[in-house]
Amino acid sequence: MKQWRLKEIVVMSVLSVVFAVVYLAFLPVGKILAGLFGPIGYDLIFGIWFIVSIIAAYIIRKPGAAFLSETIAATVEVLLGNAIGPMLIISGIIQGLGAESAFALTRYKYYNLQVLMLAGMMAALFSFVWGYFTSGFAALSSSYVFAMLLTRMTSGALIAGLLGKWLSDALAKTGVLASFALGKEQRRKHAA
Amino acid sequence: MYLHNVNPSVKALTIVGLVFVLAFLFDPITPLIYIFWTLLITFSFGSFRKKYYIIYFLSFLLFAFGMLWSSIIFADVPNDPAEQVTILGWEVPKEDLLVAISLSLRILAFATLSLLFVFTTNMVQFILSLIQQLKLPPKLAYGILAGYRFLPMMKDEFQHIRSAHRLRGLNEAASFPAKLQQFQRFAIPLLAGAIRKAERTAVAMESKGFTGDRNRTYYRPITISKKDWIFPIIMFSMLGLLIAVSVKFGYFSWYSGQF
Repeated sequence: MKQWRLKEIVVMSVLSVVFAVVYLAFLPVGKILAGLFGPIGYDLIFGIWFIVSIIAAYIIRKPGAAFLSETIAATVEVLLGNAIGPMLIISGIIQGLGAESAFALTRYKYYNLQVLMLAGMMAALFSFVWGYFTSGFAALSSSYVFAMLLTRMTSGALIAGLLGKWLSDALAKTGVLASFALGKEQRRKHAA
Repeated sequence: MYLHNVNPSVKALTIVGLVFVLAFLFDPITPLIYIFWTLLITFSFGSFRKKYYIIYFLSFLLFAFGMLWSSIIFADVPNDPAEQVTILGWEVPKEDLLVAISLSLRILAFATLSLLFVFTTNMVQFILSLIQQLKLPPKLAYGILAGYRFLPMMKDEFQHIRSAHRLRGLNEAASFPAKLQQFQRFAIPLLAGAIRKAERTAVAMESKGFTGDRNRTYYRPITISKKDWIFPIIMFSMLGLLIAVSVKFGYFSWYSGQF
């Protein structure tokens, strides 16, 4: 926390709070999809629930950004009122650790599309292992569970990784990120 | 009212502890009784708009019900498929039904506990208590408070952007590609505005001498008194009592890899 500038912390918190609302808004969407397709319905859009860790890490590029933003988002979700309750904070911590692990593996040096998609997939994998034990996936048939895992990882790569990068790049173009790592990188690219 | 005055950190840790214990219990009766107990405590010692509570609770009931039928339909092959029960003229293995009921009741028990917290806790006091009791770094905590404050402002901003679009002749999107474009037209300015405001807030905080140092004074000091411990003691002894009863009557079941 010492190396973080206050500006970065406040921006990360704002992003987390905003996406906490987005996350809550997507819960009924998941519920409808789960009603149509069974539990796998959630996995189709599961990537949306990792998006803030990818966006925060991509913009700020400091160790801990992915983990902290996801944890704050989950906590705010609980404080705004949520069916899953405080357990959701633990899910958030685990998803954040998953995304963080991808950035840690690349030693916080690379923030290209592949790494961001990997982060989405790692968040999906971590959250799936957690869900396996807490949501009773083991009660489902194993081929179905495997299909759920593949769907969730694809969703993590596409919705969290790809859409997250696209949103952040679009934000950087407006110039508001000029004093953050992403904005600086884009300026360097333009200058070159 | 008592619940509103319990130290928020003590309250939060109690709820987390209760959820943790409940997560390992796999009989349907204990969570069911505990749900009623939590409701009783919430309504006797909290004051809030009952209508909102009921709306929230009903939506969670719906969620738990969805969980119930989906875990019956997509259940694994039971160990003892011969034992069947009929509900509404529909044959279901008894084992699957029991598992599904206890899973959904667990979800509902978690929901009532978190509603108890949400409906009786002030968010700002909770964060202040996290700094003062649980040693959350002030830099992070005040950052979160600032972010939380932006939510109502963003709602206003959303309306401004919509009016601005209307004024320039952009109507509500009808087709799917148009909706996607509309999403972009709203999401980017909203987020950009929020980031700009966050940056300005951070500069303002620093210019007024905020360093994020732990060694600081507080306008609203939050403390723990003896009275605060009544809540965890009552909640945990009730859970302990229910577990003891379940052991005595032999329906106790601990998590042992059932599902």
